[in-house]
Amino acid sequence: MPAAIEVVGVRTAPRASGQALLIAPALCLMLIFFVLPYVNLLLISFFTQSHQAPYVRVLTVANYERLARDPFTWGVVWRTLWLGAITTVISLVLSYPVAYHLARAPRRWKGLLMILVVSPLLVGVLIRTYGWIILLQDTGLINQMLQGLGMKRLPLMYNQTGALIGLVHVFIPFMVLSLTGSIQGIDPELEMEARSLGAGAWRTFWRVTFPLSLPGVAAGTILVFVLAISSYVIPSLLGGFTVLTVPILVVRTITELFNWPGGSAFAILFFAITLALVWLYLRVLSRITRPVV
Amino acid sequence: MLIRRERLWLTLSVVLVYAFLLLPIVVVVVSALNAGAYLRFPPEGISLRWFAAFARSRSFTRSLAFSVELATIVTIVTTVLGTMASLWLFRSVARFRDLLRVLLISPLAVPGIVTGIALLIFFFAVGWRHTGLLGLIIGHSLISLPYVFLITSAVLARFDRTLEEAARNLGADQLTTFRRVTLPLIKGGIISGAIFAFVASYDEFNISLLLSGVGATPLPIQLFDYLRFSFDPTAAAAGTISIVLALVVVLVTQRLVGLESLYLGGG
Repeated sequence: MPAAIEVVGVRTAPRASGQALLIAPALCLMLIFFVLPYVNLLLISFFTQSHQAPYVRVLTVANYERLARDPFTWGVVWRTLWLGAITTVISLVLSYPVAYHLARAPRRWKGLLMILVVSPLLVGVLIRTYGWIILLQDTGLINQMLQGLGMKRLPLMYNQTGALIGLVHVFIPFMVLSLTGSIQGIDPELEMEARSLGAGAWRTFWRVTFPLSLPGVAAGTILVFVLAISSYVIPSLLGGFTVLTVPILVVRTITELFNWPGGSAFAILFFAITLALVWLYLRVLSRITRPVV
Repeated sequence: MLIRRERLWLTLSVVLVYAFLLLPIVVVVVSALNAGAYLRFPPEGISLRWFAAFARSRSFTRSLAFSVELATIVTIVTTVLGTMASLWLFRSVARFRDLLRVLLISPLAVPGIVTGIALLIFFFAVGWRHTGLLGLIIGHSLISLPYVFLITSAVLARFDRTLEEAARNLGADQLTTFRRVTLPLIKGGIISGAIFAFVASYDEFNISLLLSGVGATPLPIQLFDYLRFSFDPTAAAAGTISIVLALVVVLVTQRLVGLESLYLGGG
């Protein structure tokens, strides 16, 4: 591979013969420590499980068969996808007004608003999750306030609600950043014309603004869905033991049960399901948008 | 186009979402400065005792120092590799250039936890058992490199190549052209790329979870182990230190390149 690059580099940029060396180190890092480990993971998912060693080098499809027959696996897969889907929908609903506001904000405000959107991204997930623990736990701030108001405590943590709040919070900035670019590309004149022709705000939004922002919606929803279903920290700290997702189960299979072929097969299977879903979603989306765009 | 009443509703909902975004961060800072072990309303007065507790805890200070060391090395490695790669891709007209671009940012598109597992198994398969700091440097570099690459590429896209040609025509050699013309013009992008690389490594959790070991525990892993058993505000003090770091990063990036360059997709 590096040899091929050198040839092309020399032909296209005759003045700079040593230029292929610029990309070589980054390319080596990616090929050796990213591509190769994934190929290895795929290979090990076809190896035989063993109690004496992490795996035995005998090819088999038993790992996949076992997964496909186990109703427990499908239960966990289904719950993970469902949690990801709800997270995505809630993030979209909460992010759209923010992105619209940001896209149409006067120039001098934009910098400040961008700081508000981006800064949560730079505070580690663990620290934000700790903030939610202080707020949501049984003796946390929200329950203290509810009791102060004479109401009953709510179970907000160590269940799906807690995991959902944490996930939505983490993914709103990604959604806003995805949406803002494409909303900014919509000519405000179009909305104005729809209004002057008698359409209400709601109708203008659904018939003009939203369809035209679909590329951003597609990018944002896919990004958030894929990130949400592969999240590990938030479901394990805010969901406790009741929320069992695929990443948690895969890590447990590999680090606690030392069943590497089984864990690898599960990771690969989940990867394949995710890719298939994203592909299906894009197909559906392009069919819906064709008459509009 | 919105009339005034609609604009009011929009602003109100936007303010609520921003409040939701900032709420847990503010709560962590308040709880780190609060005198009591539990956060209550009204707070029990300001105190630095949790920062003192943090400073006294060997496991916390050791993992903070380890995280800073790790992030510094990762930043140096990925800033150099990422800038070189984006310079090459900017100039190259090779047919598989888009493929290389996708390859360089793909670690951000796949689940970090799966990358961690793949690396752990790979290191074992090649017979490398005690990976320690070096294993973590490799793992974190996979995550930091795409950030450097994306940001320096964004800056290069705005760079006027005729300036380089002018310098070459005036007799400057390749190295001088780079040092005196190209580098000063893309310096902002390289610096903010480096800052993002540092933060990405400093906050990285998934890969560290699988590759950390005895004597090689980054701060997020230490916090994770701590938060499974105890919620006392020592963790909030550690969090506040990281929040201050993030704030500095955002302000510096805004000064140097403008955060608008971070819009994703559909732009």
